[in-house]
Amino acid sequence: MTELAQAIVNGLQMGFLYALVAVGLTIIWGLMEMINFAHGEFLMLGMFGAWWLSVAVGVDPLLAIVPLGILMYGFGTLVYRLLMRRVQGGDPFTQIFATIGLLFLLQNTVVAGFTSDYRFVGDSVLTRLSGIKLQLLGITFGAPLLAAAGLALLLFLALYLLIERTEFGLALQATSEDREAARLVGIRPQRMFAVAWGVGAALVAIAGAILVNFFAVYPQVGLQFTVLAYAIVALGGFGSILGTLFAALVVGVIQSVTVVYLPPAFKDAFVFASYLLIGLFRPQGLFGRF
Amino acid sequence: MRRIALALGVLAAIVYPIPLQLQGYTYYQTVGFLVLITAMLGLGWNVIGGWAGQFDFGPQVFFAVGAYVAALLFVRRGVDAWLGMLAAVAVAMALCAVLTYPLTGLRGHYFAIATVAIWMIAQPIGATWEFIGGSQGLFIPVKPHAGVVSTALSLQFTGPMKALGYYYSALVLFAVTLALMAWVERSKLGYYFRAVRDDQEAAEGIGIDSRRYKVVARSVTAAVFAAAGVLYAFWALSVFPEQVLELNWGTLPIMATVVGGIGRLWGPVLGAVILIPISQIMSTTLGTGPLAGRGIDLIVYGIIIILIAAFRPTGLLSLPWGRWLR
Repeated sequence: MTELAQAIVNGLQMGFLYALVAVGLTIIWGLMEMINFAHGEFLMLGMFGAWWLSVAVGVDPLLAIVPLGILMYGFGTLVYRLLMRRVQGGDPFTQIFATIGLLFLLQNTVVAGFTSDYRFVGDSVLTRLSGIKLQLLGITFGAPLLAAAGLALLLFLALYLLIERTEFGLALQATSEDREAARLVGIRPQRMFAVAWGVGAALVAIAGAILVNFFAVYPQVGLQFTVLAYAIVALGGFGSILGTLFAALVVGVIQSVTVVYLPPAFKDAFVFASYLLIGLFRPQGLFGRF
Repeated sequence: MRRIALALGVLAAIVYPIPLQLQGYTYYQTVGFLVLITAMLGLGWNVIGGWAGQFDFGPQVFFAVGAYVAALLFVRRGVDAWLGMLAAVAVAMALCAVLTYPLTGLRGHYFAIATVAIWMIAQPIGATWEFIGGSQGLFIPVKPHAGVVSTALSLQFTGPMKALGYYYSALVLFAVTLALMAWVERSKLGYYFRAVRDDQEAAEGIGIDSRRYKVVARSVTAAVFAAAGVLYAFWALSVFPEQVLELNWGTLPIMATVVGGIGRLWGPVLGAVILIPISQIMSTTLGTGPLAGRGIDLIVYGIIIILIAAFRPTGLLSLPWGRWLR
């Protein structure tokens, strides 16, 4: 029983990190209705950047969040302006191809630069906390994961307020709902799309800088997170920010509870099985508005 | 003009390995084998992706199913490869129909993610199911055959003839697939597929059961992938999950189709003829240098796909070649 409770608690903590991974996609895919199959590669770039800054420059991954976030914001807007804007109007398939091309390009550029070896951040603020544990009702909370989950939650709430409570967020939502009407009230849709891609890329890179404390980095690490993020966004209901958070927590719990009863290889299988089931019976997701 | 080009192509495909073989080279036969497998897979993917217009991101599942079924039949029951291929195709089609029907209610990228989800679920099953050898997979032993005919019938080529034998086997399978697809394209089935793609509501309005034809389309795709999987398994002499469930068995044919021209019969063929040699040329020129094995060929693929998507999403075959060549 304690084992199960422990698994649920661990899953919830991972879920907060997944929420941060997925929410960039909620903006690009759910809100702006554009497809990005290179989402995990943005995460991978964030992880590699944080790893490199930590090993070569001695910057802690938590501090690396700032430069990486800014850099990846620029990268995201660039991807939109140079590539995605061209394919936006056409067949949705073209967006899939374009971002699969981007996936191959980014992933293998990193392979060319750094090889496919697994890399770890040995020494960081979070890994140094690993000795500290909190006990509550027989359930153990490891300090690194707890701190990371708390940080992810803070960032997530900041984003929620940005999208739901500021004029900028309203402009973003207006663009997603009706581009022409948004244009009439003085919003420049192209600009909003570019910003959405920038924010999405920055968020997932920040998630990467946090994840690098817990996961190995290698060029192919992205795809598993891409599909996980798609499952989370679809489960949460497209474009629903709080739905994404809830779905990410569900996914985290499914993963960690699965591992209690089955070989670790099945960790993701049950996530996708639940995606399929919910997709069949409630295609608009758990919190979808339409 | 077209007929001459076709005749020349057929002649080149049949004849080119012979002088190489006589001089003792086998490398280019293997390149040809890989081109043909990719082209064949692309032809298969074109049915669900190009004609029926559903983005299938997980066809590699059926490549694996084909490889496993034929390998199991051969290892456990001694069933020869070509016979095993029939069984593999049947199993893959049936499994595909059962798995795909529930998904056909999903549209666009929902469908795409669902096909990825099935692939993600297949991986741990492949890695842990002891009946099919778990993560070790199955080893296909070579049984000696006397004579060319019985070797060809068993699909077990060895020694200096290995590359040539598999090249011609792939050529036969490719030709069968191409003929089948040429027929599907002009048959009623092909029109139903495209009607569902172009306007699902209108297609349903004139009585086309869209879900049924999506299932049929994907099952045809699965059949081609399964047949190719059998050929690959007997070439590689082994089947294990990380090899046959690799993502590239899906993405390479998809890229070939997109580069050549999605929804066009010859699109995947042209794409495979362009893409696979690029990869082979790069791995020979990079040799054992510092950039060998660093995915340079895949960087080039990525750039090609990005350029195609940005400037000519309908593929190279859709360019006005007739005007240029005149």
